Amino acid sequence: MRGPEECRKSRVRVVTGGTRAATATLPSVVGMTALVAQHVRKTYRTRRRGRPPVVALDDVSLTVAPGEVAGVLGRNGAGKSTTVELLAGVRAPDAGWVRVLGLDPRGDRARVRTVLGVQLQAASLHGALTVRELVRLYRSFYRTGLDPDRLVERVGLGASRDTRFERLSGGQQQRVSVALALVGAPRAVILDELTTGLDPEARRSMWALVEDLRADGVTVLLVSHLMEEVERLCDHVTILDAGRVVARGTSAELIDRAGLRPTVTLRSDDPGAVDLLAALPGVERVDAAGSRLTVTAAPAPVTSAPPVDLLQTVGAALAAAGVVATETRLRRPTLDDAFLALTGSPLEAP
Amino acid sequence: MTTVRTTPPDPGSLEPGPAGPTAMTPARPGPGAWLALTVAEARMVARDTAGLVVPLGMPLLILVMNGLSPALDQVVPGTGGRTALDVYVVPLTLTLVVAMVGVVNMPSFVAYYRRAGILRRLGVTPASPAMVLGAQAVVGVAQILLGIALALGVAFAWLGASPPASPGVAAGVLVLAIAAMYAVGMLVAAVAPTPGSAVALGLVAFFALGALGGMFGSRDQLPEALAALGGRLPFGAAVDALGAAWAGVEAPVPALVGLTVTTVVAGVAAAAWFRWE
Repeated sequence: MRGPEECRKSRVRVVTGGTRAATATLPSVVGMTALVAQHVRKTYRTRRRGRPPVVALDDVSLTVAPGEVAGVLGRNGAGKSTTVELLAGVRAPDAGWVRVLGLDPRGDRARVRTVLGVQLQAASLHGALTVRELVRLYRSFYRTGLDPDRLVERVGLGASRDTRFERLSGGQQQRVSVALALVGAPRAVILDELTTGLDPEARRSMWALVEDLRADGVTVLLVSHLMEEVERLCDHVTILDAGRVVARGTSAELIDRAGLRPTVTLRSDDPGAVDLLAALPGVERVDAAGSRLTVTAAPAPVTSAPPVDLLQTVGAALAAAGVVATETRLRRPTLDDAFLALTGSPLEAP
Repeated sequence: MTTVRTTPPDPGSLEPGPAGPTAMTPARPGPGAWLALTVAEARMVARDTAGLVVPLGMPLLILVMNGLSPALDQVVPGTGGRTALDVYVVPLTLTLVVAMVGVVNMPSFVAYYRRAGILRRLGVTPASPAMVLGAQAVVGVAQILLGIALALGVAFAWLGASPPASPGVAAGVLVLAIAAMYAVGMLVAAVAPTPGSAVALGLVAFFALGALGGMFGSRDQLPEALAALGGRLPFGAAVDALGAAWAGVEAPVPALVGLTVTTVVAGVAAAAWFRWE
């Protein structure tokens, strides 16, 4: 467990290379929930008369503790951006409530704005200003914050710092937008589609930036439709589908809840292989498609017995029986699989 | 500082410090933010070449082309020796500068800021989106003053124009004219859905006000009702009132009333219809 003082020290050291001045004057949020949405509902009126309003969010609850990196996953139109806008105070919920570091983002606008950094999807910037001019401009809005030049370097825009925003590539513009969300040294950051439009290398560098934020003790809400990103960075994930929370938990919990278990695939022409493998402890079933076999693990035992290593079990059994098998591979279910399972078939949704 | 913490917090403690968010003072952006925004707007305007050149260049061109005509050297009776250049062309030129910046340029920036989501983005910072409109207005006034200085410099130094007989009245009328044109510009920005339509609407408003106000020739040739309307709408009203200030005669009441009413009505309508996103 990392104490607040440690967080503060690493904050100065890591992310911002000592640019975080006056952190000590900011309020401590330890022991308090950083971002909360409780039973939030939001509907939008449709343009055509007589049509019922579109429900963007229905009874959505979300909690992020201080210093956590939390993910919100969902398809386009699932309600991710509406969630962001409610937390940022851009819109008011029809029902339910939201709090940011204990503050009401609409009632306490001025205070929330100083402690919450927001990267909005599809929000552009003064096109004729250069990267450095923009970062300096946004820095001027905050009493305390990061050093603009170092921040520009940190998001990898050092070489384009004197390029006008409108002449940057989409990925570079995205990085400016991330820099502006961080320039006020916020206690909590909402990043909406952090790595959309970025090449794999830039994506990794943004992920490293999020890791630095975590080391700094900054609360991060990462809105994404990239499973890999969320699986890699987030302490827990909330899956939204059609405006409702479908599931919430760590990646492992979600995979477990979706009833997904590791499988071993292999190729074998031996006719006895299926029966041999199906009889093994820890194996639920074996599916055969020609010579290709898929061995599915049994549900993890409720007792504290150590989980069976499926690959080893299968390998040892085959070797003992003298069965020849090739292309033996273990496949662990990913968050991607869990997402599909949880949102694709409503019956399985909790 | 009265509440300085003298004992360091226990490093092992996870207890929150005494300062919760409620103890925080909301940090409203100070003069530094206003200055930075104004500089940013100035850069935006200066880097928009067409928007910079047209309001400065076109009125100057009209001034010079008219000023070269010998017919304008005739003294207008009852004006203390002022010529037609003084009481008509110079006021027209100054009004053009104000109208181009206020009715065409400013709304196009505002519509672009809204369309691009810049107002929305500023809405989630401690700066309010209204600040960017304020800064844009300040820069617009600076551009207007620059255009007026240029036009007056050419008029006085090269074309032999005389200064206004009532400089105070002229300045007052200019302030009123800027307010009226800005109000019309904000109304354009409020109702225009896109940056392109803001430019189109702004130009339509500019040419309509200009045509009725004597931009393309004397209002005497217009039907009486239109001529009277033109003298009350901001373009014609500004030309009339500035002309009166140059001649040293009393400013026409319909013009002053027209400018004031335009400011209030267009301003209120703009405020009512303005959308931040």
